[in-house]
Amino acid sequence: MSEPGLRLVPAEGPADIDALCSSVARGDASAFESLYDELASAVFGLARRVVRDPARAEDVTQEVFLEVWRKAARYDRTLGTPRTWVLTIAHRRAVDAVRRSESQKRRDNQGAPDEVVHDEPAEALIRDEEHDAVRGCLETLTELQLESVRLAYFNGYTYNEVATLLDKPLPTIKTRMRDGLIRLRDCLEGAR
Amino acid sequence: MSTDLHMLSGAFALDALSEEEAKQFRMHQRGCSACHEEVRELRQAAARMGESEPIPPPSALKARILAAADQLPQLPPKVSPIEGADSRRWTTRIAAAAAAAVLVVAAGFGISQFRSVGEQSGVTRVFQAADAHEATVKTRTGATVTVATSRRLGKLAVETDALPSLNGQRVYQIWAIHDGTATSAGLLDDPEHGAAMALPNAGTLVAITVEPAGGSRAPTTTPLFQVDPASV
Repeated sequence: MSEPGLRLVPAEGPADIDALCSSVARGDASAFESLYDELASAVFGLARRVVRDPARAEDVTQEVFLEVWRKAARYDRTLGTPRTWVLTIAHRRAVDAVRRSESQKRRDNQGAPDEVVHDEPAEALIRDEEHDAVRGCLETLTELQLESVRLAYFNGYTYNEVATLLDKPLPTIKTRMRDGLIRLRDCLEGAR
Repeated sequence: MSTDLHMLSGAFALDALSEEEAKQFRMHQRGCSACHEEVRELRQAAARMGESEPIPPPSALKARILAAADQLPQLPPKVSPIEGADSRRWTTRIAAAAAAAVLVVAAGFGISQFRSVGEQSGVTRVFQAADAHEATVKTRTGATVTVATSRRLGKLAVETDALPSLNGQRVYQIWAIHDGTATSAGLLDDPEHGAAMALPNAGTLVAITVEPAGGSRAPTTTPLFQVDPASV
């Protein structure tokens, strides 16, 4: 770890999470607890953001960490960092929860039109100082890219629903989602 | 078509595709290493956006999750390349190892009411078939699950007694597990009246899990029980 030329990794840095994931894969319960401590706020924050209801966000958080526990041995490093892996699970679970409750609501309302919930502006979304980079990079997206990415990611809408909501053709929206994310990726890489 | 599919990488990374499209994209991705790489990078970017507003969860949640994990067996590592990183796979080995502990886990999810769409007549027919075989499994909490098969009818039926009731957000879901792949055989909509399904091929196990309302594409919890119909 202390070889010359290697950068020091802070105790809460990504290398730690990597090591924790490997230990969790071998059934290490205390590593699982540490992993929880490291990532619970990120997961719960995302879940709150997507499902909104705090109690349901707790359920989602529980599902996420149990999936992480269950599948740690199957986590494939070539698919991304462990942190990304956990956040990816968190997002999928949160979106599933939202879509389930939406279809439930639709059944309950027997086809009543969906109420469109307009989100807080993107600026309010990101507060934490250490995530200035993300905020800065989101600002480099065009308005349509940002809206498309945001509605899909934080509201759990399909690109079809986003296209309807923004009254744009489907191919436009799917392209904006892709080039918006590419722009975010490139900007974040440059910001490192 | 393939250029078209490729353009869906952003929507895929944002979980913004319908189930059907996501499946198509996953298949496309398997033969496209560039897409694979792109999705990996776009997911990473999305994840950074996702973690940008952390909120500490209530402290009680941690104890709940650690206790639940303590009851939950882990999946073994993949030893041969199998399809994608989705949750479609389920290993029979783990399911077997888990069968005993499970009602406890299910209870941990806070479950308490049923939905119903049962098919009672089919169930009764199987149980009353001349060639019916039956096996009863008792779960830890004292619930019983009885499985009957009739080769003549080509059917398998499940009856349960005293299964914990689920709240509206969870349902019991039945699975046919073959070669480690779990395929939904339907929701156990009315546990009181059980459910019937086509008799699976040899080597297929039948399992029940607790799933979110509406059911899941693949099991997300450990099975309450599972049975090999051939042994019934």
